[in-house]
Amino acid sequence: MDQLYGIFLYAVFLLTMGGIYAVLALGLNIQWGFTGLFNAGVGGFFAIGAYTSAILTSAGSTRHLGGFGLPVPAGICAAMIASAIVAWGIGRICIRLRSDYLAIATLGIAEILRLVLKNEIWATNGARGISQIPKPFEHVSAPWNQVGMLLLVFAIVLVLYVLLERARRSPWGRVMAAIRENEDAARAAGKDVERLRIEAFILGAALMGLGGALMAHHIKFIEPNAAEPVSATFLVWVMLIIGGSGNNRGAILGAILVWAIWSATEILTTRLPSEWATKAAYLRIFLVGLALQFILQKYPGGIFRERRFRTTAASAHPPSSNREISS
Amino acid sequence: MKRILTAAVCAALSLGGAGTMAADVKVGSAGGITGPIAELVVAIMDARDLAATHVNEQGGLLGGDTYQLVRGDSQCDPKAAVDAGAKLVNVEQVVAVLGANCSGATNGMAQSVTIPAGVVMLSDTATAPSISDLEDNDLVFRVAASDAYQGRSLAELAWANGYRSLAVTYANDDYNAGLAGVFETAFTELGGTITASQVHEPDKASYRSELSTLAGAGGEGLALFAYYGSSGITILRNSLENGLFGKFLGADGMMDNSVIEQIGADTLRGNIMLSQPASDTEGDSYKAFAGAFEAAGNNPGAPFVAHSYDIAFLMALAIEKAGAADRGKISAALREVANAPGTVIRPGEWEKAKAAIAAGEDIDYEGASGAIEFDGNGDVAGTYSLNGVGDDGTWTPM
Repeated sequence: MDQLYGIFLYAVFLLTMGGIYAVLALGLNIQWGFTGLFNAGVGGFFAIGAYTSAILTSAGSTRHLGGFGLPVPAGICAAMIASAIVAWGIGRICIRLRSDYLAIATLGIAEILRLVLKNEIWATNGARGISQIPKPFEHVSAPWNQVGMLLLVFAIVLVLYVLLERARRSPWGRVMAAIRENEDAARAAGKDVERLRIEAFILGAALMGLGGALMAHHIKFIEPNAAEPVSATFLVWVMLIIGGSGNNRGAILGAILVWAIWSATEILTTRLPSEWATKAAYLRIFLVGLALQFILQKYPGGIFRERRFRTTAASAHPPSSNREISS
Repeated sequence: MKRILTAAVCAALSLGGAGTMAADVKVGSAGGITGPIAELVVAIMDARDLAATHVNEQGGLLGGDTYQLVRGDSQCDPKAAVDAGAKLVNVEQVVAVLGANCSGATNGMAQSVTIPAGVVMLSDTATAPSISDLEDNDLVFRVAASDAYQGRSLAELAWANGYRSLAVTYANDDYNAGLAGVFETAFTELGGTITASQVHEPDKASYRSELSTLAGAGGEGLALFAYYGSSGITILRNSLENGLFGKFLGADGMMDNSVIEQIGADTLRGNIMLSQPASDTEGDSYKAFAGAFEAAGNNPGAPFVAHSYDIAFLMALAIEKAGAADRGKISAALREVANAPGTVIRPGEWEKAKAAIAAGEDIDYEGASGAIEFDGNGDVAGTYSLNGVGDDGTWTPM
């Protein structure tokens, strides 16, 4: 019985982390999946969100800026706003870069942000990180504290999914797809490509900030290394590509699936004899890579492919297109 | 994919079932098996396993149960540590957790997993001062002294050796930055002057500009907090080549013979002092551990291995003292077996300890890494030695 209860609790942890990664993957899906913006700096926006919420909600400490003691929802909203503002600034400068140049620029900017957070010790406690960040429901008795966090994360993912599906089907979403597929044609059709690209960039970054804030509250601790490109940027990319770029359900499924594979394989490797267990930790990374290869071979467009608009459906709404052009 | 996942979960379940039938007492052994400190963790895991072997060879835990350490890979990353901790505490149902390595990983795992679950965590390597402040319901312990102690100790040693004004530079990582901060405060409190303090990023080709700035501010010497490989040796070389600083102080991150080999024993002799957590290498406890660890084919001089052995052995003592593999009883039992007074137990003396506990005696574990007396925060005070370059061209206690 204890065993089953334990597995239930572990599943709660697993899904919470998967859900937080799903928020990040949804954010990246707006940028890459919808609009075709190659953002290689997910970790930077993640870090801004995490630190903003951590500083605003944690109790005072002599080690870092803090003591504002705001409620967690306020911290999370501020995290999204802070990420959006930074994304606006970056977008104004970088958004006209072609995809691969944008990738290089955002990767560099994310590293700059990480190093700033690491070096502004008065505000962030530098490499030592911020500890004792409040967590929603932490004073409720077990298991409801963990379940409460899971439900909160899932509720956020669900709301985002509904809103983003609406956005994707709306004229706005179709313009984004048009920009991704053929920027010149979209421009020729009278769309303000640059402004729309900045919109997508800001919206995606706000969700990444939200994901960062949720992660900080879940772990109750944040340090600059949490924004390292491997676990904060490229893992999110893998999740989106596996799940299906351009498809919101794919982003969510990809995030939870990849995290589950990543996490659950360790349960098997720890069963090995101890002289193998250390080596198996590396073997696990290899096996995860192999599993990803397998999935990508079997589903080249991701598990859920992007659902294209039927041309008839698109041409069936000439008035809306006209309105876009005239605006 | 779903089928594979289902199969994996089923396999894990059946294996888990098999594990519980064999009357094992499971304790989590979390560490950075992969990640930035992976090469250090190999020896750390070996040392923990050696303690488990000693326990199992000499009668096992409680009524002859096997003491089993279940590994978890905390990767030196808080996100991974929370995940590894959740698996150990919930799926493996461990009684307590050893580790984790790295202060950030320990911090995350403790706050998000082990403290809410009421599980004791005993770390061998986490040195960040912030771990002392956690609201941990007496569930977080460590046998590695907080950096607060080493920084203070080095400041006192510097003062005692006649230094009155020093420049400070430190590598920008959690370990060295924390150490430097405590050192500066303590040295100023003693009456000394910090002429300038400059952070540096590791792995640069040259530190001349940082050092010129520091030298411009003056000072009798340079207090250098860095790892020898990533910036320490370069800073020593730049300082000496350009005549910027001639006297150096440092901590255990610089303590490697390659420093002497690359800079030259004659240049450094008398000009550098390094503090190091002193496992009293002449003590009986350390010798007992070092002999056994060496016999098992490992190097007892590797960083933190004495601490790692101690936490695994201490945890076994605490479980034996508690009389049951009961999460709720470990915290109190851990203090009782570690702190004086009581019959002195040294590394490897499991049979003696088991008999003493059975006879109702109080015991006091004198570990390979030190006496181990937990204070109110679950911390131990560190003892430090000061080292210089000896006549044979290696680091020798002064």
